[in-house]
Amino acid sequence: MSDDAAIRVRGLVTRFGDNVVHDGLDLDVRRGEVLCVIGPSGCGKSVLLRQIVGLEHPTSGRIEVFGDPVAQGFDHARRMGVMFQDGALFSKLTLKENVEVPFKEHIRLSPELMSELAGLKLVMAGLDASTHHLKPAEISGGMRKRAALARALALDPELLFLDEPTAGLDPVTAAKFDEMLRDLADALGLTVFLVTHDLDTLHEVADRVAVLHGGNVAAIGTLEEVQASDNPWIKDYFRGPRGRAADRAHEGAGAR
Amino acid sequence: MAAGAANIGTASFDLLEEGARPVLALKGDWTLENVSSLDAPLRVLAERIGPGAAVDVAGLGRMDVAGAYLVDRTIRGGAAAGNLDAPIALRGAHDAAERLLNVARASVQPCPEGPRVEHGLMALVERAGRGMHLFWQEAILNLSFFGQTLAAVARVLVRPDRIRWVSVVNVMELAGLNALPIIMTLNFFVGLVVAFIGARTLQDFGATVFTVELVGVSVFREFACVITAVLLAGRTDSAFTAEIGSMKMRQEIDAMRVMGLDPMEALVAPRVIAMLVMTPLLTFAAVMAGLYGGLAACWSYLDVSPAMFFSRIRENVPAQHFWVGMMKTPAFALVLAVIGCRHGLSVGGDVGSLGKRVTTSVVQAIFVVILLDALFAIWFLEMDL
Repeated sequence: MSDDAAIRVRGLVTRFGDNVVHDGLDLDVRRGEVLCVIGPSGCGKSVLLRQIVGLEHPTSGRIEVFGDPVAQGFDHARRMGVMFQDGALFSKLTLKENVEVPFKEHIRLSPELMSELAGLKLVMAGLDASTHHLKPAEISGGMRKRAALARALALDPELLFLDEPTAGLDPVTAAKFDEMLRDLADALGLTVFLVTHDLDTLHEVADRVAVLHGGNVAAIGTLEEVQASDNPWIKDYFRGPRGRAADRAHEGAGAR
Repeated sequence: MAAGAANIGTASFDLLEEGARPVLALKGDWTLENVSSLDAPLRVLAERIGPGAAVDVAGLGRMDVAGAYLVDRTIRGGAAAGNLDAPIALRGAHDAAERLLNVARASVQPCPEGPRVEHGLMALVERAGRGMHLFWQEAILNLSFFGQTLAAVARVLVRPDRIRWVSVVNVMELAGLNALPIIMTLNFFVGLVVAFIGARTLQDFGATVFTVELVGVSVFREFACVITAVLLAGRTDSAFTAEIGSMKMRQEIDAMRVMGLDPMEALVAPRVIAMLVMTPLLTFAAVMAGLYGGLAACWSYLDVSPAMFFSRIRENVPAQHFWVGMMKTPAFALVLAVIGCRHGLSVGGDVGSLGKRVTTSVVQAIFVVILLDALFAIWFLEMDL
């Protein structure tokens, strides 16, 4: 069914000099699902994300977003939101002004409504109204990530890209962030493409998990299906001490 | 939610007064691009009917958070928080409306006023006062860093085995030798221009022969050393700030301190020593280039032969002018190295502060160089040199 895929990647090849990052990679992201992409450092997860949003171009292959090839630039900027790893908030603007930037660029709104909607998005992402007039340098890393998420959600995109949303957060903050992400994805019916290393994020938010390894998708499916794979890297990933700890924690949570 | 349907519909509403409670009937696609025109009418409506209206979603197409926010704002009766306990009562069925209305309701928080930005005369006066205060503080900080630097350099000089020769020589090459071409080129042109303009002006008095003296004195005393120092401020001082600042940002300076290395000795002292060696040498090259520029102008414009040019310089321009110029160079070298390194070490954690520091560093360095030059000029005049 062709309408089912929000993002379709076919035969993607990416080469930096002699270094082959993607070698004929195929991947579908279905509408309305949260797809978590994992893989060893340097396997091209972030590069794939940057290629799908149009910031970089593959050596060859085809990437379609909502059925249109990505090569034509940013005509989907209205329909997708991107949250970069360190937030990439504009440092000269307050949090609220940061969220207003996409509104100002794309939609004609009265200043009051713009301010109300920007405030709404920030509260939605878990930032109290008292923080809305602070600059990015004045808040913690976790809050910066929330503000970045609010900005990514400003225009009510259908497609949300997140690059390591919980990297560098303490476990408590990371868990809260995961929970909020799952709630928002459900409430807003988002399609989410999420690059991560965090095992807890997989347990908490993923509908499906894709493993990038050796230049291709080594496994894709629900967490249980991927965990059952015999790929040696996937085994190490899930059966290492951290993987087992995350498993135990979530089994315990399920039993309660 | 019929997501992705690329139709740009319109959104509208009807107010049905049936029974006790009014009903807001939604039609069309209540998405961000459609609802902005409904903002003002809905504000008025909310004022009029107050909280508690029901919502009829039977005719609703797509809806997103912005649309849900507007509907929720209306049924809770106003722009600020309104009545957050007003029920979300739906008529008809819609697959997303209730979920989205709940999201919008959950995320309502009245926003406090942002900090006001003051404009006008008082703000201007206040800013000027702040500026003066800052100027004073900067002067004190520069002086105290200057003292620390002298102490560090002295510490290193009494124990020469602690001088980091590799880094001294490296700085000498990067900051000194590599600056040679541009310094010589620019001083050549300055000498050329001084000679041309001098010859033109002196022609009116029939004193064109004094062009040679004019070039000699001005290049020896002022141009060579000041232009070299200003160029080094733009080229080297900024590089010092940027290098040390980026190390500071990546916590390399902290790592050095933890390992027991003193950044003053490891980073600042080599730069100061290298600059103290290279600035006089570069100034000497600048003097030569300036003289040759003057010579080129005099030869082509006034028919003064090179032999004649140099013999006039030797006879009529006393060597003290040369030494006056050269004596200023160590002071300029210290200013450049100290200001460059101080601002590098004062960089904060973010990239913005690095850019700001580099700018401040160059501006301050040029400012101090020209200020010092003026003080030197007065001093030497009083000393009859």
